[in-house]
Amino acid sequence: MITVKNLYHSYNKDDNFAVKDVSFEVKNGEIFGFLGPSGAGKSTTQGILTGLLKLQKGNVSVAGYDVKEIKQKMFNKIGMSFEQSNVYSKLTAKENLEFYRKLFDVETYKPEELLNLVGLEGKENIKAGEFSKGMKHRLTFARSMINNPELWFLDEPTTGLDPAIASQIKDIIKQKNANGVTIFLTTHNMFIADELCDRVAFIVDGEIKLIDSPKNLKLQYGDNLIDVEYINNGETIIETYSTVLEKDKKSLKNIIENYEIQTMHTKEATLEEIFIKVTGRELI
Amino acid sequence: MKLWYSFIKEVKLASRGFYFYIELFMALLLLLILIFVVPENFESRQSEYIHLDLPKTVKKAYIKEIKDKDLDGKVEKVEIENDDKVINSRLYKTEDKEIYIIDDKKDVIKLADKKQKIGAVIKLDNKNNLDYEYYLQGYESNRLKNLILIIHNVGTDTIKTVFNKQDVRPLSTDYEVLTDRENLIPSFLTFNGSLMGLFIIAAYIFLDKQEGVIKAYAVTASTVREYLLSKVGVLLLTTIVSSFIIVVPVMGLKPNYLLLLVFLFTTGFFASSLGLLVASFYKNIMQAFGTIYLLMIAMIIPNIAYFIPSWNPTLIKILPTYPMLEGFKEIIKESGDVSYILTISLVFLIIGLILFEIANKRYKKTLTV
Repeated sequence: MITVKNLYHSYNKDDNFAVKDVSFEVKNGEIFGFLGPSGAGKSTTQGILTGLLKLQKGNVSVAGYDVKEIKQKMFNKIGMSFEQSNVYSKLTAKENLEFYRKLFDVETYKPEELLNLVGLEGKENIKAGEFSKGMKHRLTFARSMINNPELWFLDEPTTGLDPAIASQIKDIIKQKNANGVTIFLTTHNMFIADELCDRVAFIVDGEIKLIDSPKNLKLQYGDNLIDVEYINNGETIIETYSTVLEKDKKSLKNIIENYEIQTMHTKEATLEEIFIKVTGRELI
Repeated sequence: MKLWYSFIKEVKLASRGFYFYIELFMALLLLLILIFVVPENFESRQSEYIHLDLPKTVKKAYIKEIKDKDLDGKVEKVEIENDDKVINSRLYKTEDKEIYIIDDKKDVIKLADKKQKIGAVIKLDNKNNLDYEYYLQGYESNRLKNLILIIHNVGTDTIKTVFNKQDVRPLSTDYEVLTDRENLIPSFLTFNGSLMGLFIIAAYIFLDKQEGVIKAYAVTASTVREYLLSKVGVLLLTTIVSSFIIVVPVMGLKPNYLLLLVFLFTTGFFASSLGLLVASFYKNIMQAFGTIYLLMIAMIIPNIAYFIPSWNPTLIKILPTYPMLEGFKEIIKESGDVSYILTISLVFLIIGLILFEIANKRYKKTLTV
């Protein structure tokens, strides 16, 4: 669905590249996470893929279209949800969606259906300018689905939403993906990426450091650990041991045999811990 | 169809915003000024306050002479308010003057001072000749001062003889004179109608940039051209409506409204395209304000030539507002030059199209940044 080969981009058209030699592929029907801290090159890459930024160097194909010569009809297949809400504040929620649905040449959703889907039922006739930040974000998210896209770009889809709404949004993403929609998810939230993505790419300083599935990354980079909570001389002690290191194995055996165990859990390395381990950078 | 939907959306947005009503409100205001403040023709008669310090018989003869020149031959008693004091006077209206005869010399001086008009005291000198004592403001031209000196030192018969020797031949007799009120309309149409579009379309673009909706538009199956044309459409609509608000009540059925529509469309399209191009170079209205302000000031300059035809340097003729003013003037005249209007309409359309295409190319590159 997306093929990117040797992509470079410089805002000043010099050798100071925001994105350098980026190559990856996104297969049909997968959720591909593009992860990295602020300024890593996520938005630049996404901007080029969606035609918002002009392709300078490299080859990019999106939904079967060469991005060098963007054709407007390409956007019939694409949906884009922006991190910053960008709806017409003087139009009502319904008017916003009603307007955008007319800009596509394919079958579109009725505004009411989408508003119900994102929990904005009953708010159809309220001007978007009167919405809270979270409501505006949901309206922006709903708008990105209006043309029932085959390829869906999501930029920080749950940022600023309360946990219940964020969970609802994640369910919609999962549902859409189950229906065959390919999703390109840009985020710095590793928990969402871990939960939703089939594969993730770590991007730092404009370069992709690795691409793999969260499961493989955990197997490859994560140490398996055990958290154990036990009583020693009337005191509760919590310690973490590796299941790989011999010394830790022996200590753990000793605790099991000689102390009263309160709780004991295996612990997987998080995607965030792996990111830091691989890139040496925090996700800020 | 996408262009139509975009246009309808723009009309909705504009009607819920502030800028849409500025132009319409200004049109209504200008109409009210034209109807209630501006006279059909400005009063060109000069007012003079005169005190006659003359013997009774001479005074009677002098007044008779003025009365003979009075348009209706009747004296009018009027009260003039000056610094809370009411001054009684007799008013005589001749073809070129309003002469107020005042009984007190001090009142003449005060009135000349406060009303900024000419005051005069007429008396007899030692040789029993009329002696004129003028009270001027000080800023009058030497030409006027010399004229006053000549009038009273050269006999009127001599002046008449010189006048009669002058051979004056008009170059053209086939011209139509607009009333002073009508003459203001081209200026109003140029600045409130066509030129306001330049500023307002830039404001619309910056509002969209601020809301980020341009990015959302850019990832739809509609084109940047359709987006920009829908904005131009709204501007043309408000230009046409606001111009008709001014023209119809004042001019009635006199102008050729089809020509007016064509001219408003082409000049409005030109101004909107220019506004789009200017806005494409800036991120917000604050950054663009300086350029737009300079542009508007430059565009106002031809207005001076319009009202002072003797000042007409070639340089200002290249400013677009010059042919706009002339074009609107031709349209509201019954015998306006249709070929001139159509020619400059075509020129505005062509330049407008070129500017629009450049703007379209620039927005494709910069709209979403």
